[in-house]
Formats: sequence, structure tokens, C-alpha cells
Amino acid sequence: MSANDFRLRICYGKIGRLRHLSHLEVVRALERSVRRARLPYAVTQGFNPHMKAAFGPALPVGTAGEREYLDVWLTRYTDRSAALEALRGATPTDLAPREIRYVARKAPSISAAFTIGVYRIEVDGEAVDTEQVQADLSRMLGEGEFVIEHKGKTKVFDLAQSIPKEPCVQVSDGGVYIELTVRTAPSGSLRPEVFARAALAKSATSFSAMRTTRLDIFIEDDEGGWSRPV
Amino acid sequence: MTRTDLWPRIEPLLARIERPARYIDREWGARHDEDAQYRVALAYPDTYEIGQANQAIGILYDVLNSLDGVAAERVYLPWADLIALMREEGVELFSLESCAPVASFDIIGITVPYELTWTNILEMLDLAGLAVRASDRAEGDPLVVGGGPCAFNPEPFAPFFDAILIGEGEVAIAQIVAAHRAAKDAGLSRAETLQQLALIPGVYVPSLYVCEGGASSVSALPGAPSVVVKRVVEELGAHPAPTCGVVPFMDVVHDRFTLEVLRGCTRGCRFCQAGMVYRPVRERSADDIVRDALAGVACSGYDEISLTSLSTADHSVLEEVLRRLGRRLAGSGVSISLPSLRVDAFSVDMARLIAGGGRRTGLTFAPEAGTQRLRDVINKNVTEEELLETIDNAFRAGWRRVKLYFMIGLPTETDEDVLGIGELVGRVMSAARAATPADARGSVRLAVSISTFVPKAHTPFQWEPQISLDEVRRRQGLIRSSIPRKGVDLHWHDADVSSLEGALARAGREVADVIETAWRSGAIFDAWTERFRMSRWLEAFAAHDLDPAEIATRTRAIDAPLPWDHISAGVSSRYLARERARALEASTTQDCSFEGCTGCDVCPKLGVEVRLAGVRR
Repeated sequence: MSANDFRLRICYGKIGRLRHLSHLEVVRALERSVRRARLPYAVTQGFNPHMKAAFGPALPVGTAGEREYLDVWLTRYTDRSAALEALRGATPTDLAPREIRYVARKAPSISAAFTIGVYRIEVDGEAVDTEQVQADLSRMLGEGEFVIEHKGKTKVFDLAQSIPKEPCVQVSDGGVYIELTVRTAPSGSLRPEVFARAALAKSATSFSAMRTTRLDIFIEDDEGGWSRPV
Repeated sequence: MTRTDLWPRIEPLLARIERPARYIDREWGARHDEDAQYRVALAYPDTYEIGQANQAIGILYDVLNSLDGVAAERVYLPWADLIALMREEGVELFSLESCAPVASFDIIGITVPYELTWTNILEMLDLAGLAVRASDRAEGDPLVVGGGPCAFNPEPFAPFFDAILIGEGEVAIAQIVAAHRAAKDAGLSRAETLQQLALIPGVYVPSLYVCEGGASSVSALPGAPSVVVKRVVEELGAHPAPTCGVVPFMDVVHDRFTLEVLRGCTRGCRFCQAGMVYRPVRERSADDIVRDALAGVACSGYDEISLTSLSTADHSVLEEVLRRLGRRLAGSGVSISLPSLRVDAFSVDMARLIAGGGRRTGLTFAPEAGTQRLRDVINKNVTEEELLETIDNAFRAGWRRVKLYFMIGLPTETDEDVLGIGELVGRVMSAARAATPADARGSVRLAVSISTFVPKAHTPFQWEPQISLDEVRRRQGLIRSSIPRKGVDLHWHDADVSSLEGALARAGREVADVIETAWRSGAIFDAWTERFRMSRWLEAFAAHDLDPAEIATRTRAIDAPLPWDHISAGVSSRYLARERARALEASTTQDCSFEGCTGCDVCPKLGVEVRLAGVRR
């Protein structure tokens, strides 16, 4: 990368069937889109040259995203709307870029700075009741700590820290929506679906399926203010 | 006709299985055509990540989707986790593009790449809700048509197919589709339709042939050709390579843009079926290769181009192609790769050319045998001097890892030849170290891969016995005790697997029962080491009073009938017998694309000729 490269931030969706892609698969697919769009991407120096790009926090397989981000470094300034149009024409529809913007070369790295995720969890099931779900979530939050065991390791989340906003529950056809905001920490992030499942399991609230979408990602500044990356 | 969309039933299962990206379609380059009246399912009998890179399916997908009123969709065998859920929930095998039941297509084309995928074919048919045997299928069922490398001895799996295309499909597939559409329009029955298909050159309709005298003699019923001759395209340039194929999301084998730069190989290695059945040599021109490589990268977004063929270093203008591509791709981060290399200085030069100052990934060479005598028997025209010189070149140029392929069990092999492998590896290692700066010698590695020779149909060794399982183990022991250890990683092809391949590859139609029994007792994904159970196969052979070892290790008389006598790859058996005789006296044969004709009879028989883009050297 040269000091003169232009840092282009792309906001894209990961929706429809492509929610089933892994992070690595998304990374590869979008790098290929950038090549197909013939953007003047920068190439790293060294033994194994590759496109200079950086991706925002990973989404798990099965989780969709409405506003996901990647940064690509370009060697030439390229008109924003032309670049967006070229990218859209070179990307599978369900990964299509939505907005792009140049950001400061020295802006914080997107994998580290993007700490606030807003999620929508669709809970399907005939007898799922909004108030019941709201009560389940409130009870879990009231416990103050959330403990998960994964592969023999125990992880403890401080809920006041991990869930900085009161969850909100709404009715949808055939079930309910939960909107849950999660703050990631360097030590690991709470998976919203795992939290919701645990909350519903405690009171044996039954449901048929759960689908998660990350609606938005925010950067949290030192004063605690949240801002959109684009 | 309204078509069923199985997606609403598949999607809920995806949260419960591994690697859902196998099943979701929507890749860049996937073609969707909802309105086509005639629909083809192109199936590969293994998982998505194994089959997606198959070049034949890529070519046929392109050809078929460009036909008016025809849509081709891809089908792979789901992995065991999804198969179990589909069976539990009663969901049938589905295509990727429209997620429609495979049984709702007009025709199913299945490529048959390798013996150990045969049970997967039965699993696919059954999962689709179709009878596994062609004779049990109903009038309205899709036609099931096979093709691919195994088609040159189709008998063991012939009863599962309505028709099998022998040879290259670029032109024939459109003729099959046209004949089938015409038959549908005319309201022909299934049997009448198959009779029409049998009139197309290269199409073998198993139900029009009967087996007599065991299964080793097959004869045609009236209306079917007594010998089905393979299809071959005269000129590759008339059939541009697909440049806008499917770009998978998931990490698949050969995940790069592959461009076939030439077809056929006439080096004449006597063990090699591909070298015998894909003749003659036809090269694409430098202009076409450069054009298609650049178009392929632009359309796919891949960062690697692989120039594929049976022997890419033989291409007469390879150096020009690599120089031109190197210039055009400079600074793009897109790299070029060559599959396997000849053992010579030119190949190392080409590898240096594409590596530039960058990464030196491994090089692969195939001396095949440990002594000069045996290399002459198999007509592998490589001398030890050339090999050591090539190694010297490669390690001087900065490579530190080389892969070497050998075989055991080649005809006339003695213990001296087997021990010769270890000795040769030792000399290669010394040459490699000597060519490497002293401070880097610790990183010199040789990956030595040893497989067991499996004699194949349509080769000069088609009459030869395969060595027995005990003998394989003994010879492997000889190598193990004699090969240098330091810096050498030794890999074996599983002895059981080779012996099964040997029994299946040269069997007749009687073995179809064995395949079905093995599948019914749970054999599936046999090519996946962790899933393979030899005992299931042995029991299946025993259940039909057949002995796999006898099929593999029997010597066949030159004039005795063979199960593939009614299939012609164009190479005459006179030539094969002559090559066998020359093998037994360790006498070599030249390559007709470099020197004069060697009389294999392909060109006059098929009305084609060797087509080169320049002069080979």
C-alpha cells in the first residue's frame, strides 16, 4: 500500500439466500466483485501479492446483514457514483453494495472500530407472544451476567456492557421481532441469537425457527457517541 | 408447466447441516431461465466442492444454455448430513438454479468421472425418486444419460443409464437434445426414443445390446451400431472455451479460472488411458488463449488462471502465451498456474516465467518408475539424467519443494525396479541439496506419492494383470524399508482402493449387480477415505458369486473378447497389441505430435488430424 492510495468504504447487504455464506465466502465473493468491476484496487507488496482490502466484523453463517462494510484501497481516485455502478453490476444481487464513500486514510481500522451491532431476530411460531418474549428478555437482562459454555470453555458476559440498549419486541406475521443491540468487546462478542434462545428457553417459550439479521453497525467514540461508518 | 420449488423445504434444513453454501445457488455466472420448455439437469456424482470445477460440465452448461428453449441446471450430491434430513423429511434431490426436483427435468446428464463415484450415481437417482435401473423407469421419467472418462468401459454401470455418450460432448449434446425434443413432439415411447438416440454417432444405448457368454461379450440388437465410436471435435477453436462460468462462493477444489489450452496427448505412455482415449492432439491458438484467459479473469474476478490440459508444457507456443499474459496481467495480482510439468529444462523455465520474483509453490514431476528399463516399458520418455538436471534447475531457481509421482505394479516390474524408486529418490534428494545454498538445505522437501498401477481399458496394458493385494503390500514394504527418510514425505494410494478400482475398471455388465448391492448395503462417497469400507464391497461381490481379485489380476488373452469391444476410442486394438509387444521388449515409441505418425489409427478412423498452433519442441 502506498501513502497515496484512496480508501473507499463500501456498504453492502448480505441478504436472501446469501445469509448462508460464511464470512470467508463473503470476503472472497466481494474481492472478486471488485476485480470484475475493474476498480483500480491496490495490491499488497511482497511474496504473495493480493488485493488491499479490509472487512468489518464477521457475520456467522445463517445471519443476514443489511449494512455491512468493507474498505478497498484504490490507486486512482475514481468517481463515487461510477464506482458504485460498476460494483453493483459485478456483484450477486443479494450481496449488492448500497453506498460508497471515501474515508480518511488514517481512519480507524474497520474490524476494530465497529463495536455496536443492531440486530433483528425473527422468532417464528404460532403461539409466540410479544409480552412473553419481552418478559423473558427482561428477566435475562436482570440477571446482570450471561454465561455460555462453548467447546469446554466458559465465557461470562457483563450484560450492562454487552447489551447497551433495552431490547424491543414487535409483532410480525407468524411470530415476533426482537431488536437487540450488542456491543462487541476485544475479549469476544455475545451472539444475539444465543442470548435470545437462552432467554426464551428459560421460560420454555416455544418457537419454530429463529432468523437473525444485523441491521446496522455503529462506531462508538471515546465520549460514548455512536455514528454510522458511512 | 408449473415447476415445484423445493427451496421452502430445503432452507429450514440448512441451519442443521454443515457448509450450506453448497446448496444455495445464486453464484456469479449461474444461469436462470424460467421459461425454457426443455430442461436438462447436469449432475456430478459427488459434492458441490468436488464437482463444481469439472470442466466438462462447465462446457456443457454453456453449450446447452445457449440453445433456444433449453435450460441447463446443475445438480450435485448433497453431503451425508443433508441426505439424511432429506430422506427424513421426504425431500427429493433438487437442482441448484430453480431448486426443482431432478425427476421433473426432461433429461439428466451425469458425468462418470471415476469408479468410486458409481454408488453416488445410484444414490442420486434414488434420492431423485427414480428407479436406479433404466429398465424399471416409467414412460414419463426423464432420460438418464451418462458420459465422461468412465464411458470408455461403460458396461459395469450401463444398466443404470438409458444412454451413454462416448467421447466429447460439445456437438453431440445438442444432437441428443434435438432428437429427444423431436421424439417428444412426435409422441414416441421411451423405447422408440432410445432407438432414435442410438442413431446419433457416439451414443450407446445399453438396452439395445445383449451380453453373452458371461458378460465379456456384448452384441448389438438390430438397429444399433455394432461398435459405438467416440465423438471428437475436429478443431477446438470452433468451440470457444467458457469464459463466464459459475464462480462459486465456497472454497472448492481447483478454485480458479481454468482454461483448456489443448486436448489430447500423444506422448504414448502405455499405462495412461487419457493419453489413448482423448487423441488426437488439438491445440488452441496463442491468440485464442490470451483472449479467453483475459476474458475469463474479467468475467469471473478470479485471481488465478490455470492453463490446463493433459500436458500443458507440450503446447507449441506456451512460452509466447505466458509472456503475453504476463505483460497483460502485470500489477493486477492475478497469477498463472500450470498443472503438472514435463521433466525437462523448458518446463522449469516456464515455471520461472510465471512465478517471476514471487512465490514458488511446489513443482510436480512424474517419473512413474524407478529404473530406466521400466520407464522404457511404459514409454515414459524420461531419463534419469533429465530428471536430475530438471531438479538441479528447479532448486537453483529457488524451489524448495518438489512432488514426485511413482507407480508400483507396472507390467514386468521386478524387486529391482521397486528398490530403484528409493534409490532414485535418494539421488534426486542429493541433487536438490547440492543445488540449494547450504543455509537453506534444511527446507528441501520431496513429497513422494506412490500409487498402484490399475490397468485400464483401451490401453496397451488392458490385457495385463493387476498385482494382487498381498503383492502390493509386499512391494510397499520394500519401498518403505529402502527409501530415504530425511526430507521425504511419503504418500500411498490406499491398496484396498486400488484393488477395487482394478476390479471395477475392467469388469463387464455382471458387476452392475455388485454395485447396486454395495450401494444398498450403505456404500456411498467411496472416494472419501473416511467413508470407504472395503468389507461392504467384498460382501457385495460374494453375494453375486464374483471375485474382485480374479477380475483384476487375471491375464486376458490378446484375442479373447473384452467387455468394451463394442466401444471404440478410435485407437485400434492392433496398435494397442503392438504397443504391448514393444513394452515387453522395453522398446519406446515416439510422440506423433513431435515426430512422425505412429499408426494408432485415430486420425483416419475419425477423420481428424493433429492440430498444432506452432512447432512442438
